[in-house]
Order: sequence, then structure tokens, then C-alpha cells
Amino acid sequence: MLFVTKKNKTQHSVILSIVKLIILYRLFPLTMVEPPLLYVRNQERGWNDPPQFSYGLQTQAGSGKRTPLNKRVPAPLQGSPAVSPSLPSSTPPKMPPISASTTGPPPVGLTLLPQKSEGVMSFNSQPETEHHIDVQVIVSPLKQTLEACRDLIKKQVFSDISKRLTMLEEMWNGGKLSPPVQKRMSVLVTELRCRNWDTADEIHRSLMVDHVNEVSQWMVGVKRLIAEARNLPAETVVAEDVKPGDITEQDT
Amino acid sequence: MATYLEFIQQNEERDGVRFSWNVWPSSRLEATRMVVPLGCLFTPLKERPDLPPVQYEPVLCTRPTCKAVLNPLCQVDYRAKLWACNFCFQRNQFPPSYAGISEVNQPAELMPQFSTIEYIVQRGPQTPLIFLYVVDTCLEEEDLQALKESLQMSLSLLPPDALVGLITFGRMVQVHELNCDGISKSYVFRGTKDLTAKQIQDMLGLAKPVTQAQQGRPMQPQEQSFLSSRFLQPVHKIDMNLTDLLGELQRDPWPVPQGKRPLRSTGVALSIAVGLLEGTLPNTGARIMLFTGGPPTQGPGMVVGDELKTPIRSWHDIEKDNARLMKKAIKHYEALANRSASNGHCIDIYACALDQTGLLEMKCCSNLTGGQIVIGDSFNTSLFKQTFQRVFSKDLNGEFKMAFGANLEVKTSRELKISGAIGPCVSLNVKGPCISENELGIGGTCQWKICSLDPSTTLAFYFEVVNQHNAPIPQGGRGAVQFVTQYQHSSTQKRIRVTTIARNWADAQTQLQHIEAAFDQEAGAVLMARLGVYRAETEEGPDVLRWLDRQLIRLCQKFGQYNKEDPTSFRLSDSFSLYPQFMFHLRRSPFLQVFNNSPDESSYYRHHFARQDLTQSLIMIQPILYSYSFYGPPEPVLLDSSSILQDRILLMDTFFQIVIYLGETIAQWRTAGYQEMPEYENFKHLLQAPLDDAQEILQSRFPMPRYINTEHGGSQARFLLSKVNPSQTHNNLYNWGQESGAPILTDDVSLQVFMDHLKKLAVSTAS
Repeated sequence: MLFVTKKNKTQHSVILSIVKLIILYRLFPLTMVEPPLLYVRNQERGWNDPPQFSYGLQTQAGSGKRTPLNKRVPAPLQGSPAVSPSLPSSTPPKMPPISASTTGPPPVGLTLLPQKSEGVMSFNSQPETEHHIDVQVIVSPLKQTLEACRDLIKKQVFSDISKRLTMLEEMWNGGKLSPPVQKRMSVLVTELRCRNWDTADEIHRSLMVDHVNEVSQWMVGVKRLIAEARNLPAETVVAEDVKPGDITEQDT
Repeated sequence: MATYLEFIQQNEERDGVRFSWNVWPSSRLEATRMVVPLGCLFTPLKERPDLPPVQYEPVLCTRPTCKAVLNPLCQVDYRAKLWACNFCFQRNQFPPSYAGISEVNQPAELMPQFSTIEYIVQRGPQTPLIFLYVVDTCLEEEDLQALKESLQMSLSLLPPDALVGLITFGRMVQVHELNCDGISKSYVFRGTKDLTAKQIQDMLGLAKPVTQAQQGRPMQPQEQSFLSSRFLQPVHKIDMNLTDLLGELQRDPWPVPQGKRPLRSTGVALSIAVGLLEGTLPNTGARIMLFTGGPPTQGPGMVVGDELKTPIRSWHDIEKDNARLMKKAIKHYEALANRSASNGHCIDIYACALDQTGLLEMKCCSNLTGGQIVIGDSFNTSLFKQTFQRVFSKDLNGEFKMAFGANLEVKTSRELKISGAIGPCVSLNVKGPCISENELGIGGTCQWKICSLDPSTTLAFYFEVVNQHNAPIPQGGRGAVQFVTQYQHSSTQKRIRVTTIARNWADAQTQLQHIEAAFDQEAGAVLMARLGVYRAETEEGPDVLRWLDRQLIRLCQKFGQYNKEDPTSFRLSDSFSLYPQFMFHLRRSPFLQVFNNSPDESSYYRHHFARQDLTQSLIMIQPILYSYSFYGPPEPVLLDSSSILQDRILLMDTFFQIVIYLGETIAQWRTAGYQEMPEYENFKHLLQAPLDDAQEILQSRFPMPRYINTEHGGSQARFLLSKVNPSQTHNNLYNWGQESGAPILTDDVSLQVFMDHLKKLAVSTAS
């Protein structure tokens, strides 16, 4: 009963409409990507898949909510609802059906829509500009932290974490990590240095949620490192400030 | 309190409760004449960020058959330090710790604003939450990869001290030992043979050492975790190894010949999962999370054979009694569900496949245990990924939005009895003085168990007025209901939430207008719908529609204003004005109509309908439709084909789908690219507005809905066209001018025709 069929359509036009739909489908996610960095692109989307929200956007869901869309209009008891009752009568002259060329332009300057305030911001929404980050700026502090934890943890755990840090280094050097991941990792390391464990942990979670396919194999080592480093005595130096230039000397 | 609408809203916000009637008819006979039963939708763990829990035990009435909790409705004698129970009128002494109370020094539970209060109590050892993943490996490579990543990701979202375990299955079932030494071991079971709980525990070496039982002392938490340590380990200890283990998971290695389905031992895998938890950690919060990509094809619980030429059962097969394996499979899963429910563990089902996966047979596993069911096309969709992430979402206080092992008890005034409950619960078969003999839903008890619940989980409760006709209005003029929910908070604390509400009695013969004005038509519609859907699930189908129709006609006869035999004179007051259209859309909804839905889809829709709160349930019954235009802010419009206009954008929310539909002219303007021109920035904003609103819905909805972006003439416009009331169809072409609306190609009855019939029947003296 609910099924709507289009009986008189030819095969051709059905295919056309599918093609059109696919184009539409491709187009629309793009408009959804604005403002750009709140969304994470999902390349392989399913049929009618919802847009993907970034971790930062998800965790603040519910805050700053506008009026909920949950109102209904009672159907009139008498007669048929010709035009919805609350419509203004000043609808523009009716266009003749079809043919895009005869459709007039939209009215200019008319807008009574409440503009959405750009209140949604998250720690990862600053433009993640592409400037080169040296891998050692990331990995060295992590390794130093691990070294500081050496006496607190089992040998097995130590080698597990260090294995994953190596994996991170290799992927980074192999160009397998995207700029957003690199940028966020550098923020994570900064927070770790300042002993802001909770913030660092939160960034790790955001990376796992938003970029799991890039980070899943090694991020768990960073996660564990953050957890272990919490137990370090307060006076321990977690990691010294390093500049890219210093690294080679330290390592050799 | 200005209006009933405000009263209803305030009560929902404070107590999480919506009653169908907010003034109660004072006799049994009059109550039955109200047609819609006296009942309520109750959200036990309604989010109350403003309500700090108190850190002491509740004070109970001393009458052994009552044990109601001290509440603001109790009469207190501050001088004598006595309180009278408002349910059984027993006079109780306050405990010694309350010696200091006075009119000006009251404990929280006596203050009117604490009609809902939460206690943190010290009961038993605190055990960590448990998550047991049961993972199908008969998936496409891409799907398995996406699932593995989601599972790895979840390790970062779980509470660090939660216990986690892994069972994988295909032709065989593997229970993985988790340890930190980097050597992976697993126990392999055949997928064709069911095992008893005892056998499973013996084979996994979970039998409890005899010495402990002999010593007769309570087991310490460390010993408990020692017992389960090989299969269930704290996340923070094994996260690295489990990440590797998941990363190395391969597709089921058994070859699948041409024309066959992979052999999938879902039934045995679930049985082992239930047995594992039953043997090690009964009566503590645990989720068994099943991830499956197809139907069970062998062993107990098999839904379809492995021959691809035999399709999985359809509604047609079921009606023709041609679903050979269905009954046996249902029996298998029901037994598992009941065991799991009595252990207090819940079972979630994440089924991602294009074809059916056997939800019809397996649904009881989630329905009886409060588990979630999520369906999707593939694990590699944002629909699955984000829905799964949201399972681990946190509230404003940073606590997980999940609770476990709830025991919900209902107590009532003497003139009221409980007929039953409908929701994701099982009966605890506890007898008491307030149980009605007339069952509606799951009855015959005053306590129910909900193994897993979240802040939106909502149960329907149905009551019966037992006061005799012509008996005076009961003492005090008010009736009361108390809900006592004991549960394990996600922080593993034991908590008790107590909600006590009261409503006035009224004599329906002299004060009908009071009762009528206090009708909550939204709650009434959802309560009737839950009953209808419950009947459709448990009894035979088509009678439900007739029953709903009959009830609607009776309601209109009782509360409509009309002259006999004159349909045009029929009127309904404001408090009933939306009710008939709710029923109209409910009749067309996938909860009662199975046409165009597979048995799995119907099971899925009904599962969510039986657990969501009132607002969401109502969206499911009658989807919300908003219209966006240049001429004003977005406005709600009739869910009607007349609302489909050329120069509007429509946003429809059906709970399971969000549809954005561009009217014909809007679509043409967009194709012409006006939104890119600076002078038409307003058009760009118009296009963006529904997207922004849709985003807000998407962000808060669980499970994530499908998201459909379409336009006039688009094939996906069918999602909108199949939901709107077909007031204009190809059959009444003559009366839709070019003016407005879009005709729907359907023979369905429109709301107008439905209403005409309803009016005719309501005013008729014959019926």
C-alpha cells in the first residue's frame, strides 16, 4: 500500500534518474562539509549514509540546541487541507510546470530564516594548516616519556609500547599519516609534556574516533603511555623541550 | 500552573512520567468507559543534571507488604517523629538519624521538589562493567576491516577498568584467551552442537574451585576476576594485545562453495557467550555485543540453510506456515534470552548486511534484556560506525549513559492496581497486593527487571482503577504511584531512584469535563500504540487494526460533541484534536503494517518503538514535517501531500530516516546555480537551513538514522511520498488544481476519508 510505483516511465528515464541521484548524492555531502573541519570525510559511504561527525562535534551534541523541531499541525476536521493554514498568501506567481529556463530566479534579499550562530567550535576546529612537522618532534618526547616510565612498567609492556612508537615513526616517515593526524599528534605531545594527561587522553580518543584507519595500530601504545605516565612522580621530567635540529645529535 | 500542557511538560521534565489521564476517574466502571486505559510512559533514568544523588539509604514503610519509600506525599508528625505511609497509611517511626528533623529542617525526600530522588547505597562488591564482543568473521574483507577498526576504536572509549572479552565465530566458535605475554590462545568449539552452561564452563575451565564454596565466605573481587581472567580482562591491561588480536582477525578460513552461504554458528556463539558470563559474573552489569553480517546457517538457532537457492523466510512464508526453521530457532534464542535476563546481562545485536540476518528469530535476545538492535547495510558505513560510537557516549557529568541490572518496582494507592508493563523488560514474578488480575502487556507482577537501560529507555505501565461504582472519592482525593528503580550505575555504584507522583480523583459522572481536559493525547496515543504493537507481536495480526479502530470510534463517541446521526456536527475538544490523526498514521506505520518490510525490518522497528520515550515514539507514529521558504522561519506543516509545494524545502523526520526534499522550483534554482551568486545569498541560506537542522537531529539520535537528500521527481522522494497523507491522489485528480501539493499514486485511504468514516460511525446510533 505504501509503495509508490512509476508505471509509465521507460527504462531509460529510470536509469537517468538513478544517475541523477548519484550525482546529487555526491554533491550534497560536499555542501555538508561546511564548515570544513567539523566533519570527517567518509569515502566509502553506504546507501543513504548519514554524514560523519567528528569526535569534537559529537561530544558537544546537545549543547546550544536550537528550538527542537517537534511541532505538529492538527488536521482540519472539515474538508481537505488545500493549503497549509499558516502560509502567507503572498506566494509568488505560480510557475508553469517543468522547463528550467522558464523558471524565474529566486526572490532577492528575502530571508526570514534565523541565521545559525557559529557557536560550535572544538579544540580541533582551528584550521589545521599544512606545515611540515618533523617526526622527531613527535616521537622523541614520547620515547623520553616511555624511558621515564621504564622502572614503573613490566618489560613486556615497555617493549610493546616502544614497538608501537617505532610503527608510528615508520608510518610518519612513509607519508602514511595525513596532515590532520600529524597536527593533532603534535598537540597531543604538547599536552603530554605539560602533564595534561586528561587533555592528551581526549586528543588520543578524538584521533581514534576520527582517523581510526590511520592510527589504530600504534595509537594504543600512545594511549597506554599516557595511562602509565600518570603514575610518574610529580618531579619527573616527562620530556624535554626539543627542537627539530637537536634530534639528530641526541640520537647519534 | 497555568495549563495542563505546562503541567504535563513540567511533570515529564521532573519525573520522567507522562500519564494518559491526569485526573483519574474514581470508579472501575467509569475508568473502562474512558476507552484509553489509565497508564503512563515512565523513563526510569530520565536525565536530571540538576539532581544530585543523596548518599544515604531510603527510609521504608515498616509494613512488610508495603515497604514504600518515604516521600513528599507522606504526612509527617514532626513532634512525635512519626510519618504515615501514603500508600498503606501505616504510621512509622523515623530512624534515629532523623532525630533532628522539624518543619524547617527537612530531609530532601520530604520536599515537594524531590518527587524524584536518587540514593547512592552501599550494597555488595562493586564489579567493573563487562563487554563481551561476539564477532562474526564470515564477512566481506572490507566489512571485516571496518568492523575491526570500530572494535579497536571502542577500546579507547570504554571505561579503562571495564572487563572485555572476545569470541569470534564462523563455521567454528573461538573463545579467545586474553593475556599480556603476546601469545594468543583460543578454545575452539564446533558450531553445530549446543552445549549446556555446565559443559561450556567445564570446557573453558571455569568451574569454581570447591574450596571456596566450602569456606562459605563471600568471594572477594580479586578472586572473581582471577576466575574470569583468561577470557575477560581489564581494558587498560590488555588494550595493546587485544588491538593486535583484532587487527590480525582473518575472514573465516573455511571455503564457501559456489551457490552456498557461509556456515555461521551464531546460535552456538551466543550460547557460549551467555554461558561464559553466567558461570563467571552473574548479576553484574554486562553487555554481550553481537556483530553479525548474515543469518545463522548451522547448528542450534539456525535460521536458513546454506543453500543460496533457498531464500530466507519472508512474511509470505510465515503466513503460509512455510518457515520451517523459525519456531525452533526462536525457541533457542528465547531460552538464551531468558537465561541472560536472569543473570542480569544484556545482549546487543549489530546486524549489518543487505539481506536479512535473522533478527526476527534473535530479537528476543535484545528485547528481553534491554539490549540494543542496530541494523545497517554494512559495517563500513558511517551509520554503523557512529551509532556504535554513541553507545559509549557520556552525559554532562562525564558518566556513561548506560546502566545495568535494574529492578523496577511499582507501588500504588489501594484504589489502583497494576495491569502490566510494556518495554525492554522481563517479569520478576513478584506477587503483591497491588497487582490487577486483568493483564495488559507483561503483568502478574509488581516488579520487572531491565538488564540494561539508558536515560531514554521508557516503559509503558498500565493501571486499573478498582474503586467500586458509586463509592465515594477515595480518602485524600488523590491517588499515588511510586516507582522504585534499583540499578547499577555506569560508575558501578548501586543506586536507587524513587519517583512518587499523585493525581486527583474525579467523579466521571459529574466532573467529566475535568477528566477530559486533563487527557494527554500524546501519551494516550503512544500507550495505545504500544498495546497494539505488543498485540501484533504476540497475537495474530489483522485483529489489531480492527481493535484500534473500535477503540478510536468508542473514544470519539464518548468525548466528541455531535448531534446523533449528523456527521457534520461532530467536534472534538483541543485535548483530543490530534488523537485521530495519530491513529490514522499508526495504522499506516511499519509497526502494524508489514507490507514492504521484511520480517527483520518489522522486528527492528518494533524493537525501537517499545523502548523510546514519548517524543521519539510519537515521531515514529506520525513523522514530523517542517517546511522552509523565503517567507518566514521554518514552520511545521501537515504531514500531507498538500504540503509538497514547488517553492518549499521539506525536512521530514521519521526517527529511522531524515529526509530533505527540495520542491520543484527550488531544485531548478539549485541546478541553475543561484546559490553561488552573491546576490542570491538568501537562497544559499535557504538551502543550508534544513541541512543544519537535520544535523542537529542526527547528532542526538540513537541509532543514527538514514539520511536522504532528494528533490522533486527523485526516486528517493518515495520516502516522503509514502509517509504523507495522500489527500491528493490519481483518483481524485479533479479536485487538485495546479495550486498546491503533489498527487500520490496510491489507493490508500486518506485522512479525510478516514475522518469522514470515523465521524459517521461515531455519531451513528447503531454502533
